[in-house]
Amino acid sequence: MFRLPLLFIATGIVGFVLYHALSLLTLGTWMFEPIRNPDGWFRVHLLVLDWATMIAMGAVYQLMDVVLQRRIYSMKLGYLHYAVFTAGTIALLYGFVASDVPFLAGGALLALTGVVLFAWNVGATMLQARVWNPVTASTACALIYLVVTAVMGTVMGLNFAFPVWIEGHDRLLASHIWIGMLGWFGLLITGFSYKMLPMFYLSHGFSARLQYPVIALLNAGVLTGAVSFLFGGGGAAQAASVAVVAAAFVVYAAHIAEVRKHKHKSSPGRGIWWTVQSAHALAFFGAALLATWLLFPGAFEGRQTTMVIGMFYMWGWVSMTVLGYLSKIVPFLWWTHKYGPRAGQPNVPTMAMMIPDAAVGYGLACVAAGLCIALAGIYFESKVWVGAGGTALSVGSILYMSVIVRVFSR
Amino acid sequence: MTRLTEDQVRETLKQVFDPELGVNIVDLGLVYDITVEEERVNVTMTLTTPGCPLHDTIVGGVRRSLQDRMNLEFLHVEVVWEPQWTPERMSEAAREQLDFFR
Repeated sequence: MFRLPLLFIATGIVGFVLYHALSLLTLGTWMFEPIRNPDGWFRVHLLVLDWATMIAMGAVYQLMDVVLQRRIYSMKLGYLHYAVFTAGTIALLYGFVASDVPFLAGGALLALTGVVLFAWNVGATMLQARVWNPVTASTACALIYLVVTAVMGTVMGLNFAFPVWIEGHDRLLASHIWIGMLGWFGLLITGFSYKMLPMFYLSHGFSARLQYPVIALLNAGVLTGAVSFLFGGGGAAQAASVAVVAAAFVVYAAHIAEVRKHKHKSSPGRGIWWTVQSAHALAFFGAALLATWLLFPGAFEGRQTTMVIGMFYMWGWVSMTVLGYLSKIVPFLWWTHKYGPRAGQPNVPTMAMMIPDAAVGYGLACVAAGLCIALAGIYFESKVWVGAGGTALSVGSILYMSVIVRVFSR
Repeated sequence: MTRLTEDQVRETLKQVFDPELGVNIVDLGLVYDITVEEERVNVTMTLTTPGCPLHDTIVGGVRRSLQDRMNLEFLHVEVVWEPQWTPERMSEAAREQLDFFR
């Protein structure tokens, strides 16, 4: 199990660099522009599908092999999934850039097919292994939400091509974003972290009891939010969903604190340090958001506020976590491929020797600083801040990714 | 011909590292038991966690290190999960290494 995860991860890295190269061309000011236009949708899907989801899929193939102690149900299906999903997302991106509806609908159908193949492959492996724990349960839920997100996206694409339910488009869009962001990424990242963080910290003897309420709260928040967006539950129902999700992330942060309390390795590396800080920031942000809403119910009505919340979640937590984990996943994959057959022989490097930890720290610090400046710029409507922050975010991201890619030369 | 000893096997296994932690498997306390009868060696060991991503790599490293350095007639490596590994099994050297940055 090396080539398939690596294929997804390499493609994800290409998508990520392309995203930031395009961002630099506009000096990051696209963050200031309205997102609901073909250019905005192109960027969002490049980031969400060809970067974050691509990496996440590769990580699922890699980690399920480990967690279930069983080979994936079908490697051929895995490669077919890669081909169909990649072709679908490329067609989809072209459809957005060219405002070409047949490409949009066709790309969405192909991407959906890829997602279904992925869910089938991983789902069949899980059913065969019959290993149920918070990691596999979270992953299974995340897979279901991914399929639902892709179905909703495809329905929107088809609705453009063959207008049937135009008045429902905004509802579908809100549910599509909600389920994808929180159901797919939220449950997958938290679920994988239950396994990965204790490994990196060499934690033993910690309690796993908080993992269960995180799963329950996230599912409750995702489902109530999706239903209220889809069927018009109103502001109060949506706020309640946000409250439940915020509570889930606060409990998740408490679980991480429990893992770190029982650590036996003081430094898991700066990538993991940033991953953990991003989880703390998310919990704090979620709690602050909730408290503000309770005190000032009208505080979140502006477009800027919605943008700040969405960007913080996607960049501050999802991307930051993926970037942090990449500093471990890529050296692991490459070390296993190149040095695994030489394990036990002299002069074999450790994984830590394959990536300069200080460079990882500087790269992610630049990303975090750029994001904070850009978010402040969006909130206060300062184009200069957005430009400066967006540029720093992209420069930091590209430099960081060059550190990751250099692992393959070691 | 010198007779192979358990200490020699243990010393050889110090060449096998957990590549993520950077500590050898003997100091990590992963090697539970070594028996040597003539040129026949049995190693009973564990890993820090069930479902360790480096399972095959570390077990392969144990085989390779012993077969490369010793002319063994028979080598059996068994991975067990009982008793479960705990950090208390680590040597002082391993603890110091892992706490290096604290």
